[in-house]
Amino acid sequence: MHADATALAPTSRHSAATEAASRRDRRHRRIRKVISYLLLSVGAVVILFPIYIAIVNSLLAPSQIAHQPPPFFPTHPMWSTYPTAWNEGHLGLYLRNSAIMTAIIVVGQVVTAILAAYAFAFLSFPFRKTLFIVFLSTLMIPFEVTLITNLDTVTRLGWYNTFQGLTVPFLATGFGTFLLRQSFLQIPKDLSEAATLDGYGHWRFMTRVAVPLARPAVAAVAVFSFLASWNNYLWPLVVTGDNNNVRTVQIGLKLLANTEVQNINVTLAGTIIAIVPLVILLLVFQKQLVRGLTAGAVK
Amino acid sequence: MATTRCMRLLVSGALTASSLAAVSFGSLGGASAAAAASLPKCSVSALGKATGVVDVDFWESASQANQTTLQALTNTFNSSQSKVHVNLVQQAGYDDTWNKVQAGLTNGQLPDIAQLEDQRTQGVIDSGAFLPVQSCMNASKYSTSDFLTRPLNYWKVNGVQWALPFAVSAPIVFYNKLAFTKAGLNPNNPPLDMSALLLDAKALKASGSGMGLVLDPWHLETWLASANQLFVNNSNGRSARATKGSFNTSIGVQIFSDLKELVTSGDATTNSSTGPDEFDNLLGIGSGKYGMTIETSAALGTVTTLLSQYPNVQLGVGPFPVLNPNIRGGIEPGGSALYISAKSSPAKQAAAWEYDEFLESSSSVATWAAGTGYIPTRKSSTQTAIIQRLWQSDPYYKVAYNQMLNGLNSPGTSGSVIGPYADVRAALLAAEQSMYLSNVSPKAAVSSAESNVNNIISQYNQRLGVS
Amino acid sequence: MTVAVSAGAGREAPAAPRHRSLRSRKKREAALAYLFILPALLIFSVFVFYPFLRNFKLALYENPPYPNLPSHYVGLHQAATVLSSSAFLQSLLSTVLFVLMVVPTGLFLGLALAVAAHRKLQGIAIYRVIFSSTVVSSVAVAALVFGTLMNPVVGLLPWLGINPTPSILQNPTWALPAVALMTVWQFLGLSFIIMSAGLQSVPDDLLEAARIDGASAWTRFWRITVPMLSPTLFFGVVVGTIYAFQSFGQIDILIGPSNAAGVHANVLIYYIYESLQIDNNAGQAAVLSIVLFVITLSLTLVQMRYLERRVTYAR
Repeated sequence: MHADATALAPTSRHSAATEAASRRDRRHRRIRKVISYLLLSVGAVVILFPIYIAIVNSLLAPSQIAHQPPPFFPTHPMWSTYPTAWNEGHLGLYLRNSAIMTAIIVVGQVVTAILAAYAFAFLSFPFRKTLFIVFLSTLMIPFEVTLITNLDTVTRLGWYNTFQGLTVPFLATGFGTFLLRQSFLQIPKDLSEAATLDGYGHWRFMTRVAVPLARPAVAAVAVFSFLASWNNYLWPLVVTGDNNNVRTVQIGLKLLANTEVQNINVTLAGTIIAIVPLVILLLVFQKQLVRGLTAGAVK
Repeated sequence: MATTRCMRLLVSGALTASSLAAVSFGSLGGASAAAAASLPKCSVSALGKATGVVDVDFWESASQANQTTLQALTNTFNSSQSKVHVNLVQQAGYDDTWNKVQAGLTNGQLPDIAQLEDQRTQGVIDSGAFLPVQSCMNASKYSTSDFLTRPLNYWKVNGVQWALPFAVSAPIVFYNKLAFTKAGLNPNNPPLDMSALLLDAKALKASGSGMGLVLDPWHLETWLASANQLFVNNSNGRSARATKGSFNTSIGVQIFSDLKELVTSGDATTNSSTGPDEFDNLLGIGSGKYGMTIETSAALGTVTTLLSQYPNVQLGVGPFPVLNPNIRGGIEPGGSALYISAKSSPAKQAAAWEYDEFLESSSSVATWAAGTGYIPTRKSSTQTAIIQRLWQSDPYYKVAYNQMLNGLNSPGTSGSVIGPYADVRAALLAAEQSMYLSNVSPKAAVSSAESNVNNIISQYNQRLGVS
Repeated sequence: MTVAVSAGAGREAPAAPRHRSLRSRKKREAALAYLFILPALLIFSVFVFYPFLRNFKLALYENPPYPNLPSHYVGLHQAATVLSSSAFLQSLLSTVLFVLMVVPTGLFLGLALAVAAHRKLQGIAIYRVIFSSTVVSSVAVAALVFGTLMNPVVGLLPWLGINPTPSILQNPTWALPAVALMTVWQFLGLSFIIMSAGLQSVPDDLLEAARIDGASAWTRFWRITVPMLSPTLFFGVVVGTIYAFQSFGQIDILIGPSNAAGVHANVLIYYIYESLQIDNNAGQAAVLSIVLFVITLSLTLVQMRYLERRVTYAR
């Protein structure tokens, strides 16, 4: 562009002016770049600050923590808080429990959503429209509205303090069914026709064609489902009691905070331990995460 | 004898509280015959008939530090005989244990013996979840004469002993002797009554520190007890079910107005008794923010360790400052007691009682108190070597014991029995806070506290179907 | 479904029986469909619809303070008492305030971060990861971390000069905003991701053309970007409101059931939990659950009517 300008410029005065203009432009651009980086860094610092403070405080001795002004760097890091949080806080066990519960829910939701979405997208049957509205209506009923009876039902089934109790109420998702149906509907009709011509039954079509083509939507449902169930606090709180083999990491952290109430450093070490696996997952599955959380945002 | 005491109080006191005269002592006496006849059965012989080892689940909420002592005692019990095996099931706290018991009433997961907080007594009675320990005491002819009167009476309702005291404490004063000296106060004279407390706080504030006041309704009730003022009617709920509050008296107003003065003058800063801030009043002594605070005697061990890390702190301990030295009252106990489940099999109940007897034996009480800092609830346990050693090495442990041993024994000083106790305490706390935050007058605060308390109690009684 | 009519399929039946095979195929298809829908439908029936409907029955019965004692019929009397109680009105107010504090702030900051990160700069990917990171902070972690930051003795606030009495989390004026602050932080990751995705849907050439035409950055933002972002903003408001409404863990950890009502942080969901688990008052909890349902339903309907009308779709 710059070269074109000089080529077109007939007079030397014109080219000098453009020279100055482009130099100013470059300086402006550089200043804007610096400002951009500054703003970005401020944003990053603000976001990371709480976690940074948590890490710092997890390594301080109790007497240092109460010190005012609070120290921003651990000069004599007390690494022992981490093994204490892990062992006495049973965090390894709780992380395992959360992982099991989340895996069951994610698989359950994905499977039931795929099956139902497939039926709504590719099969014709009486009351299809009504049933789909029924599925969508579950989006209008927040979980907390069903809490009382669900607790009662689960208790009567003898599922209190078990993985069944933790997971079964969540094995279906109206939102996931909706998303997957959208995705299935976008598969061109010729493809399904060709598959039928080739003698594909529904099961084969679903597993060999539809689901692979809808993989982004499946991943989206999986991610959304993962985050929701890992983060679930209220239900595990009421449906699990004293059982370290079932207690999830969210409740475990609350328990750790209550028992180590004078050792804030240990509690914070526990929170850092709990967040590390998720950070790793974030770094590995960024793309799927973004897709999962924005499904439905952009038309 | 009761009447003479009443007369002496009325004469010596400068207050006109007529409720003092209404205090009745009869209900704290021996079990009425009618009550004893209608007690559920506790067949201690069921243990002998059981084949094999009887497992007992004990839901307890000892802190990490105290858990070691409890585990050691339990191991001793388990290995000393082969009939009963006790499993410790540690809970997150008093509230958690109670919530689990509630949940257990429907899902069936209940303990055989549980450590329940002081405020749950009426709840235990109303829910029918636990056996009054009086049944087992009668069956095995258990004597409680060695126990300190007020901790024992705390868990006795209408003549029936519902539980034996286990982890008993009372509020005491913790202060920094160096801060006292800096403020021009005698470091060996902690404040013994409310007016001295206010003066000392003022002096501390003037010299750069001040007082940390934890907002705990239990402390408010302790001030009531220190002036022998009933909290709720019907002898604090002991002679009959409580139906309304009784603290809207000049004593109640005095407590509120003294505290309002303390806080709004800036001499004391408040913090909550629950949540992440709950020990800020103690941590503040370490950081120099406070020179004095009132906290449970059960914290003595932790506090001593914590504050020893600060070179500018020399710990001092004093008894709870009574409201008015001219009124004879007593410091009421708080803490928790051991309840035996009504839903367990007779063999398990008998086994739980065996364990209960063991934990309440003189030597166990001594070991427990020495290992945790709780008040030794049996007089004979204070003669044991372990307690004598403790008291010699750290005389501060005697403070809580002495204030529990001494003082008046009456319904007004033995604590209350209320169904919706937690909500009642919350209402009391809210009224106290309204003075500090919204500048409500002490009289109005006490008045609104009492009307809220009355509503809470009547709603509870209505839900229960007894109003 | 298309009927496969092709020679050479090898399994075709002659003309007349084809009718029957068509009907039976349709029947088979319907059976298959019902089979596929059955798992989800079963779960929904047992764990969504039945509990929802049962609330209406539970609301008519008063529960004694202990769950093992029987409840008794009181009709609408209980609903009337609950809905006119000051505790309920305070709870509603707290809920509304909480949502108003969290959603606009969270969306605005998320948009700001998304705009800042919507540039082709070196290393921008790192910033984008950082900005979306709070989406993986679980509620317990975020609550405990912020609880420490706001602790009046060991936290940062006294150093900044913020030292109210009582301390922030016990303060009836500041407890809810403090929890809202923590919730906004946790919501930022999600908000950023949503806003970023929205920004990416705004075509660059449109903005470039406007820039060449002389429109300032401000004008470009308000006249082009924001209208094109309206579906995203709409989605953000819906997601954010649901997120704020379902905030529970942070209140349980930072404030707790014994303090929540006192510090005016007793949002509706927490009040439901307290009624059920702490007070054993299933009847009251059922009344509150119905209120919650009515509110979320109305919100969704309102959002769909009004906001969608304002949304301009770029087609």
